[in-house]
Amino acid sequence: MKSNYLFPNSFKKVGWVLLIPSMVAGLVCLIKGEIDAPEFPVFAIWADELFGKQLFFTVVENVIADELIAIGLLLGTVFVVLSKERSEDEFIMCLRLESLVWALYWNYGILLAAIVFVYGMPFFWVMTVNMFSLLLLFVVRFKWRLKKADHEE
Amino acid sequence: MKNNARLERARIKMTQAELADRIGVSRQSIIAIESAKYVPSTVLALKMAEVFDCTVEALFELESDD
Repeated sequence: MKSNYLFPNSFKKVGWVLLIPSMVAGLVCLIKGEIDAPEFPVFAIWADELFGKQLFFTVVENVIADELIAIGLLLGTVFVVLSKERSEDEFIMCLRLESLVWALYWNYGILLAAIVFVYGMPFFWVMTVNMFSLLLLFVVRFKWRLKKADHEE
Repeated sequence: MKNNARLERARIKMTQAELADRIGVSRQSIIAIESAKYVPSTVLALKMAEVFDCTVEALFELESDD
């Protein structure tokens, strides 16, 4: 069966290795509210000084721990759900699509509710979580559907 | 859509895993097809009919709400 745009099955393990520690570290950062890590000079296409001017194509000092966590979360979730299953076929692809649609509805439904009912800094927290929640909901739904399909007789 | 996949598989004494291997799909697909939760593609339906040595029409049947 043709299965376009999917990574090889071996990427799934890499995905879990990236996703689990990144998720733990991300939750710790969210709960603590700050990241206690050293700063490094990094290249920035667009940055700004605190209450200062906009900077383009420059080098800024930045704590890179949050960037590493975000990259781990994004790549981890993508590899987990978009790597071929051991036996990939049209039904698995159908489950994957159904899970993506489900995750889209829930993710943006929750965001819609947050736009109406959440204000100030808590909304910033919602937006931070929302960067990853679509993919995380997709992972949870897809894994649950796969497990359910395995036990339905 | 109704189907006789479970009956046909039992007739030739084949397990779900064996059928899945034979037509190159996952066991979950066979479970979903047999319980009428998933309607397979034409290619998959033809492969199943070939294994069961019957026609696709003998294996799958339209229902009034299809």
